[in-house]
This record gives sequence, structure tokens and C-alpha cells, in this order.
Amino acid sequence: MGNSNKYWRGIEEVDTSGLPPASNGNEFSDSLPMEEIFGESEEITANRRDFLKFFGFSVSAVALAACNKAPVKYIKPYLDKPETVTPGNALYYATNCGVYNEGFPVLAKVREGRPIKLDGNPESPISQGSLCATGQASILSLYDVNRLPHPVVDGAEEENWSAVDTKAMGALKAADNFGIRLVTRTVSSPVMKSSIDAFKTTYPGTKHVVYDPISYSGITKANKADFGKSIVPNYKLDKADVIVSFGADFLGTWISPVRFSADYSKRRVPTPEDPTMSKHYQVESLMSITGTNADYRFSIPQSKYGLYLANLHNKIASKVGGTSMSGIAAQELPGNNLEVIASDLANSRGASLVICGSNNQYDQMVVNSINNMLGNYGNTIDISAGMNISDFDESEFDSFVSDVTKGNVGAVVLVNCNPVYSYHKGSELAEALSKVKVISTSMVLDETTAKASIIAPDNHWLESWDLMEPMEGHYTVSQPVISKVFNTRSAAETLRVWAGETFEVTGDDQISRKWVIDKIKSLGGNSDKAIHDGFVNTSGSGASSYSGSLDSAASNINARTITDGLELVLYQKVGPRDGSWALNPWCHELPDPVTKVTYDNYVTISKSDAASNGWEQGDFLKVTANGSTIDQIPMLIQPGQSRGTVGIALGYGRTAVNSQENDLVDLGQNAYPMVTSTANGIEYSAGTVTIEKVASGYVFAQTQSHHTIEGRDYMREATLDEYKENHNVRNEHKPHLVSIWEKYDYSKGHHWGMAVDMNACTGCGSCIVSCSIENNVPVVGRTEVRRRREMHWIRIDRYYSFVVDKDTDASVRNGPSYEDHFFKAGDLSTKETEIKSLDKLSKESSDYGHYDSVRVVHQPVMCQHCDNAPCETVCPVLATTHSTEGLNQMTYNRCIGTKYCGNNCPYKVRRFNWFRYNKNPKYDYHFNNELGRMVLNPDVTVRSRGVMEKCSFCVQNIQMAKLNAKRENRKMADGDATVACAKACPSNAIVFGDRNDPKSDIAKMFKNERAYKMLEEVNTDPSVVYLTKIRNRKEETNEVHPS
Amino acid sequence: MSGSFYNNSTFVAIVILVVVLLLITGLLYGVMRNIKAMIRDRHPEEAKPSWIDSKIKPVTSQWNPTIVTIAVIGILVLVLGSWGYKYGMDEIGVQQGYSPDQPIAYSHELHAGTMGIDCQYCHSTAATSKHASIPSGNTCMNCHKGAQLRDKYDGKVSPELQKLYTSVGFDPETSTYPKELEANKGPIKWVRIHNLPDLAYFNHSQHVAVGNIECQTCHGPIEEMEKVYQFSSLQMGWCINCHRQRGIDVENNQYYEDVHKEMKAKGEHYVTVGQNGGLECSKCHY
Repeated sequence: MGNSNKYWRGIEEVDTSGLPPASNGNEFSDSLPMEEIFGESEEITANRRDFLKFFGFSVSAVALAACNKAPVKYIKPYLDKPETVTPGNALYYATNCGVYNEGFPVLAKVREGRPIKLDGNPESPISQGSLCATGQASILSLYDVNRLPHPVVDGAEEENWSAVDTKAMGALKAADNFGIRLVTRTVSSPVMKSSIDAFKTTYPGTKHVVYDPISYSGITKANKADFGKSIVPNYKLDKADVIVSFGADFLGTWISPVRFSADYSKRRVPTPEDPTMSKHYQVESLMSITGTNADYRFSIPQSKYGLYLANLHNKIASKVGGTSMSGIAAQELPGNNLEVIASDLANSRGASLVICGSNNQYDQMVVNSINNMLGNYGNTIDISAGMNISDFDESEFDSFVSDVTKGNVGAVVLVNCNPVYSYHKGSELAEALSKVKVISTSMVLDETTAKASIIAPDNHWLESWDLMEPMEGHYTVSQPVISKVFNTRSAAETLRVWAGETFEVTGDDQISRKWVIDKIKSLGGNSDKAIHDGFVNTSGSGASSYSGSLDSAASNINARTITDGLELVLYQKVGPRDGSWALNPWCHELPDPVTKVTYDNYVTISKSDAASNGWEQGDFLKVTANGSTIDQIPMLIQPGQSRGTVGIALGYGRTAVNSQENDLVDLGQNAYPMVTSTANGIEYSAGTVTIEKVASGYVFAQTQSHHTIEGRDYMREATLDEYKENHNVRNEHKPHLVSIWEKYDYSKGHHWGMAVDMNACTGCGSCIVSCSIENNVPVVGRTEVRRRREMHWIRIDRYYSFVVDKDTDASVRNGPSYEDHFFKAGDLSTKETEIKSLDKLSKESSDYGHYDSVRVVHQPVMCQHCDNAPCETVCPVLATTHSTEGLNQMTYNRCIGTKYCGNNCPYKVRRFNWFRYNKNPKYDYHFNNELGRMVLNPDVTVRSRGVMEKCSFCVQNIQMAKLNAKRENRKMADGDATVACAKACPSNAIVFGDRNDPKSDIAKMFKNERAYKMLEEVNTDPSVVYLTKIRNRKEETNEVHPS
Repeated sequence: MSGSFYNNSTFVAIVILVVVLLLITGLLYGVMRNIKAMIRDRHPEEAKPSWIDSKIKPVTSQWNPTIVTIAVIGILVLVLGSWGYKYGMDEIGVQQGYSPDQPIAYSHELHAGTMGIDCQYCHSTAATSKHASIPSGNTCMNCHKGAQLRDKYDGKVSPELQKLYTSVGFDPETSTYPKELEANKGPIKWVRIHNLPDLAYFNHSQHVAVGNIECQTCHGPIEEMEKVYQFSSLQMGWCINCHRQRGIDVENNQYYEDVHKEMKAKGEHYVTVGQNGGLECSKCHY
């Protein structure tokens, strides 16, 4: 089929020596549990009498169950119907997502006064209409039964706020002379800033301390030194021709991944008219989602970032005439690729970008100098308008902790931050906090709030008025989209009440509304327009010029010791991120974009390190670093990871109160105590780490191994040069199709279709969470995921392929050719032959070098809505049928659960409801309680046990869009009907629309030369096309690991 | 109707009792026959033909046993089956004729019939939303702030109307909404008559605004109903039937421009909802 890459899904597929393969190739993993039902021993002991008993019981049980009455239902109308609310119709409000404190503009979809979905605000330059997976999932935190229903005073609920205020003000007055510490996250809200000022005026003994779980102080300090401004600048990836990232996971977790993904993807899609794309080099130690999308990826240990950066700096300096750093040891990437990177950068001066994910100030200073030499400031980096995400200064916070420990503080007021969990000396802080008066405004009883004697719970951000300034000069407005669920009050208001201010408000109104409007007016904005749009723009603070010196950086980099042993890198995972919202099941059911593991954190390690230590996937390790020990954490082999590096994700091991019994209780291990704290700040790595194996046999709940590709041509990939020569590259051979069905004429009416551009898709998983929320997809938990019963309607397949030294035998480099190994005469293309050929590759390479440099592709797969759908022909009850608009319809109430359709689907996109997840107490993931169910979409059926379900192309949205057009007496326009995944996608990789509308985007995508259909040769004729992935790389470049 | 509908369990108990008693009767009859046969065997001289032997047997012995068996089974199946069908239908929520008592004895006959108030004056979202919606208290008060019907109740407020006033916190004596009545305010808990299962999506505006269907087509002579009852079965067959017959007004809606053009080209004048895809599953089930 023209594609020589051999794709594989995970380590267990290539290396068959270890654990048995997770997948046996069957659609459903378990056979029916007959023994469990009929007997205790292994043999079936049931006899005829038992059968009759069971039979009799079932019959009477059915008879009893059938005695349920159709319930009497009631309707309660409004007493005074609000003018704008129409029961049954959704309203959209522009507000902020508060997952990350700086504010992120979103549109909240509200039905009958309850928000049910968040999407990015399309008009804001920050969100550009999309929202990350964590933001999508965060709507559930509004309906969280773990929220505090009332303020708490001395461990008892206090319903009366004025009693709380009296108590708190008394405590604060008493503490003022000893000193009060007000701890907040980075404050991007001018409203909150004024509240803090008011508080400080009344309590002059107050010192404001900023705490963020993830520090960007390396960047702010470097910019303070080089530009005199302590800011995180605004990076513009859409302006960059060459992007070089040293460990910055900018598509996953670094600074503002949604905006970066949107900007990045704008330059990643070549067209026949403009066959150019940006070139992305990723140099990193772990396999990040950003690394998987790079054109070239090199794995180096994190402790060497500085050395490589300094070498890159000097190479560029010699090319463009800058000052070299002195005394730097020479270091090159294999194949002299650092030289290649340097010349690429030097050739695109002013249109290149170098970034680094390290939180080391000196690394960032080298990066600043490189960008300055390349003339990137003012072009790809905007230093005049920074991102308000990090005012966190570790040294200030350290002195706060020591003040509290020494007893120099009277009271600590914590505003929505949780340092006991995420600060590396959290246990020390917890002990110290026991000695002082602690007041908290947290919504939930988190680790830090557990120490508080007064808890004045804040509103959820969807219940509050606020104004945020995520980017300098770009203010975004928060407005309440629901009346308060619990007896809470906004923290900004609480602080001012405690400062002694009094204000009158009527009804549900909040005084913060006035503050927001006043502030907008003082910014010169129209408050009505700002609230409607969700944002108001002013200007930034102006540019400043570079005046840095690299002497200190050179000496710091030279002084770094690099050990021979393993080093630890701590990272954030897409989904749970820094762990602040880690009690959200949607974040954990989302498979990690790279490892495809759900629910756990683990030690990632390279294959060669695992092999040399004699460890196997699923072993439990005891890990000690920086004086902190994790007793037991499972180990996962990660292809592409740098040798000598192990990685552990932050954001796990929460011990906060969770009233639910589910897999989120005691989930994973807290790795925050393992960070390295230096005089310059926190580094998310540890130079020396000791590891020993303590147990084995853990089975990850990993989704990628659930289905087999059986060597088929799912993925197509080519280089940019190949594309320039031939726009049809990899798609030249169209199969000769034969059909036994009469072709239906879809040219009338609508013909819905979807296109997935694999050049734009980064694999971030936002679509998965968005789809789950839109379509009421249940959360099933870890055990069920292990049984391959995850319910996601859209999955993102991640495939690895090998990139090996060009001197290596070609059959090893590209894997055995398709013809050799898959289509021998009489040989069937099966999973076994596929594994055999990959296994051969493993054996030919003794040191596992080929695992160090793998290429990764992401492929979202949802129901393909085949026009010749194999599922439809096997359904015995016609529960799945085809519509005249090309939709593969699933009718739940007809389905009797034979699962034939799931077995017959070549794309494995159908999901079976094994349980009644929304009623079953075993699945305690918010949907089995009244409050959590408020998030369900009322337009979509909540499926019951025993039925199949799958992607419907969000048919509820299609129907609604059609109805709107009919009601408004107009033709449908492109973009009227949307799907949840396409809306959420930050990189616009998913396009949906009517193929019969010649002007629509989707019609153009179907005509795109890169478009191909998955498994075209079996002639299912899908309504989804994929666009061949193009990488901006030369095929013969080496990317082997540095020895 | 409403009473018997929700007292089916008593009925079931009686049926079960009757069946059990019949079985016992049969059993006892068998025992008696055996005893009689034994007596006959011992004292054949005393035997005299029973009433059954002399009067019934001569007739029934002429019958074909196969036909008799089939006929008896057939009658049983018919009786039990039709009862089971009705019972089952009620159970699964097919409630044609359902007419529960409402918290306020509101008369559609009076308001929609005699007064001729437009349906959408109260059910104001029928043309714009999925739900026709029950009017909010303030809609009622548009008229009933003034219309207190004191002439019919010796100068006092109608007790039914008083329920509305209590619900919205209105004092009819002073025509104000005093603060002290606020505590008792609360929406009226109407009993829902038309219940579609969750698995079916229905949108009023599609039918009212786009399809131009009269309310009465589905809801029956609502303007003659003193107490509302469910006029249609609301079963899928009923939906489908209409979708098969009703035409679409393609001429006056721009949405159907292409369909209309094609029809004109072919010289067709009528297209039903069903012909335009209105019978497909995911038009209503998702």
C-alpha cells in the first residue's frame, strides 16, 4: 500500500517476551462468567435441579420487576419566568474557565439555568474557540458532592455568614499584631487585587504571598535579568518557521497549551497552493505529547539541557555574529544535528523560536540570548504583553513557610490554594499550620483546608462575577451562569467583608458585579459589550530591550554535575495536570495521550534501562529522590524516552476528602516532594534517584492495546519533500472496489461527513472529554477499562514506528516490507505475523537502540458512518440502520445487545453498556447522585444496560441546526451543524459538515489530495476521511540517541 | 379512569386468587370423581347415572375433542391476551385517556373554548422550543389579578383561584403582593399528562412553527375538555402514521429550496414527511 512504516501500538506488542499481550484480538475480552454464576469450583457444577431453581427464580424475578408502575410525573412551572429563559432552549454565556487561575475565556451552554457544557470563546484570541480536556471536564466540579455546602467554623457547619465573619474578623484582629499571611495563587484579577489591597489596609500586619503549584519562575527571573520585566512573554507559534523546544511541552501542559496548539497548527498544514509548513525540533528527555508531534525529536537527559542550549547558543553566535558563552564543553547531537538546528535557526532569523521547559533561570537566560540573537523579540515573542500566569517566587514562599514554622505568624489566610499537597515541603507546612490560626476559602476540603479552623467557601467560578487579565491588556469577564448551588460567597467579597466594608445587595445579585462593571468602565470599555463578548482589550505595557549577560549562566551550566545513574524528571499529564482538580473522573478516564494509560501515575523508563536493570513492565518500584520516597509505584516502558531518565507524573496521590467510593480515592503517588529546590527555585527533576524493584505484576488500564491493527494500512505518513513532488503521496493506489450493495444516491439533501487532518491533530484528548460531556458517556473506572469496556465514543489511537540509523539494514529501519511479511502466498495478514516481524526486529538489535528514537502518530477514531456499514447488515433487530443523510443511526430502544455489530465493525468504535452506570453504586463517578446528574445533556438519552452505543455525529446538534434553519426560513449554512469533538479541537484538526454543500469546508476536505478513507479496500465507504500526515523532515536524517 | 388505572394490583390479586380457586375446585372435583368411581366399583348395583352422565355427556360426546380443546384454548388466549395487552400497555406508559386530577381544577373548556384564549398565549414556547411549557404563575396573573370571580362565590374568591394566589403570593383583597405571603409562595405542582419515554425526542416547535400543525391534531378537542385527558396514544405507530401521510410545505420554506426545485423539475406536488427522511430512526431517537 505504499507506506513502508510499520506501526505498533505498545511495547507488549513488539516485545513478546514479557507479559502476555494485553489483547487477544477478540472484540470482547472476557468470555461469559458461567462459573461465577453456576458454581464455586472451576468446573461447572450446576445440574438440572439448579437450572430449574435459577429458571424459576428468573421467571418470578422478571414477573416482579414487571410490576413497576409507570410513575406519575409532575411539572413545576416558573412563578416568574425570566424573559430570556425558554425551557428546552439553550443559552450561551461568555465567562471564564477557572481551572487555571489566570482565566480562560469560554462559552457556557446553559439549559434551564444549569450549565451543561463549556467550550472556548471563539472570539477571544486566547481560546480561539477551543478548550483543553481539563477545562472541559471542570464543569463537573460545579456539581461536585464533595463541595462544602456551608461555611465551617471550628469543625462545625455554620449556616450564617455574619457569624462566620464576626469569628473571622475577631481572629484576624487578634492576629494582626503577630502578622497575617494572605496566600493566593497568582492574581490575574484586578477585582481580587483591590480586595487584597483593602484587606491589607485594614490589617496592616498582612503580607501577601503567592503560591502556584507549578512554577514558571525560571522564565520570569530570566526576563527580569534580561529585560527588567518579571514576566512570562507571549510566544507566537503561528509566526515561527522553525520551532526548537528543549523539553517544553507546549502542546500539552506548558503555559497556555490550547492557544499554542491553535497557533502551531496554523503553520502545520501544507496545501498545494502553499506547500510550506513550520519545522519543529523537539529535544527532550521524556516522550511528551509535543515530542510526538515534532518533525525531528532527540532524546537527551534533562540535566544536559543547559549544555546543549549553550552549545546551540555558541553555534548560532558564530553564524550570526553574537557573543559566545565561554568555557562551555562541546556537545553535539548525533548526526551533527545541533549544527543542523543552528543553521536552520540562523536561516530563519525573526521567524524562529527557541523555548525551554526547564524551570532553571540560567537555561532560560541562554534561551533569551538565542532568541535575541535571532531577532525573535517583537516577531515570534511579544515581551510587551506578558501572560499573567506566574508571580510565584519560591524564595518568598520558602520564607513564608519558615516564618510559620518559627511561629512568627498569627494567622494564615489561604485563598483557593493547596500548598500542603503540592508544595515540596508540604508535610512540614502542614505541621507548622497546626500551630497558627488558619482561614481558608476553598470550595472543597482539600489537604490544606483540612488544617483550617474557619472555612469560608468561595463560589465556583461559574457562580461568580470576576474580571481576569490572563494576558496583559486582555481582560476577560466572568459572570455567574447558575445561581449558587451551595451556601458560598466569592472570596473577593469575603476579603472585603473582613476588611470591614459593608455593602447592600438585593436578591441573587452579587456586589462583585458592580466591581467588575466599575473596573471595565475604568478601563474605558463598554460594560454591556464586555460582558456579552466575554473580554475587553486595552494595550500592553510596552516593549523593552534586551540587556542580558550570560556569564552567570555559563558558570552555572559548567558547574552542573551529571551523574551516570538514573535521573528523575517530574512532569504533568494532560488531563490531571498539576493535580488541583484531580478528583474529576473525566480527567482520569481520559487516556494519557502518549502512554494511553488511564487512572494511574507510574515510572516511565526507556526499554534499555529497564532491560539492563532486569525490570519488566508492571513491576513495582521503590523510588527515592531528594530525601523523599515513594514505596510502590508501577513501572511503564516508554519508547523514545532518553536513556538514564525516569519520569513520574505530578498531580497524583491526593488525600483530600472524597465522599465517593471510586478509583479516584488514593489514586497514584504524590511526586511533588521529589522536586529539587535550589536557591534559584524549584526544578522539576532530581539528579540522583535510587530505585529498587519491590514487586511485580501490575496491569495498567491501558486503552491502546485493546484492539489490533493486524498490519493494515490505517496510517499514512509522508515527508514534505514527497508531498511537494506529489500531492497524492501515499494515496496513489486506489483499491478496486466491488460491492454487492446497490449504491444509494446521497446527492439529495444533506450528506454529513467528517475530515480529520492528522497534520493538525496533536493527540491532546480534548475531543474525547468534550464528546463524553455532550453525549452523556459514562465513566466506568479502572477495572472496567482493563476489561476493555471503556465507553468513549471517540478514541485517539497512538502508533509508534521505528526510526533507526540509516546504516541499519533497511528492513530493520522501516520494519519488514509489507509484501515480504504480510502477503506471502497463502499467508494471512494477522496479528501474529505482524508481531513476528516486529519481534524479529527486536532480536536483531541487541541494545534496544531502536526504542530510543521512535516516531509517533495520533489518529482520532470515531464511528466512520460507513455508507456500506458492516454493523447494519448483522443486526438481527434493525437497531442500527442508515439514514438518507449518510448517518449510521443507533436506536438504543431497539437494541437487544447481541453485540454482533461490535464484532463486525472493522474500526472497533462500538461500545456496549455492561452496566447501568448512572444507577449502579459501584460506578460512583457523580452520575449516580442527583447533583452530579445535573451535568447531563437533556437532549441525549442516558443509555441503559445491555445496549450498544457509538458516535452519532452529534445528531442532536444536526437536528437542532436543521430545525433552527427551518424556523428561520433559510437554507442551512456551513458551520450550523457542529460536533462536540470538532468544537473542542484546539488545532482545528476535525472538520464536520455537509458534503453536498459544494462551498463547505468539508466538501473541500473530501477533495483534498491528502484525503484517504480508513480501510478503503474493504469498501465500507466511510463518511470520515483522514488526511495523510506530512512531516517536514528528510527521510535519511539520523535521530539516534546520543551515546 | 384515573382511579382504576392505579389500582391494578388489587385486580391482579383477584385474578390470581380466582385462578388458584379454580385449580382447587378442579382438584377437588377430580378427587370426588375418583371416590365416586371407587364406590361404583364396589357397589355397581347402587350406581345410577349422574346428572352429567345423563344430560351433558350425550351432548358432549358428539363433539370432536380436538376442536373443543382448540376452541377452549383459543377463548382463553383471547381473553387473557387482551387483558394482558391492556395491562401491559398501561404498564409501559401507553396511557391513552389518562386524565389525572390536577392541583387546580383548571378548565380548558372555559379558557380555550368559551373565552377563546389562544393556546400559545399560555403555552407560549410551543413555537420556539422543544416544550410547549406550562404557563408560569405571572402569566395567569395577567388576567386573574382582575378576574377574581367573586360573583360566583358570594363575593368571596374562588377556592380554586385562591390556590393560584397562594402560589404567587398575591393578596386578592388588596391586590398586592405583600411580603408576609412570600413564605408560602411556590410553584403549582401540575400532573404531567403527556409522557413520552426518555428515548424519544419530540420538539413542539418543529411541529407547530415548521409543520403548521394545529394543537388539536394531537391533543384532541382541548377546547371542549373540562378536564384534560390524553387524546392520542403517543405510540410510535401513531407518530409514524402521521409522518407517512402529512405533506411538507416545501414552497414556503427556504430550507427546502433544493427539494422544491427538484420536485418542480419532476412535476411532483406533494412530498410527505416520511419521503423526506422523516421515518428514520435518528430523527427522534438519540
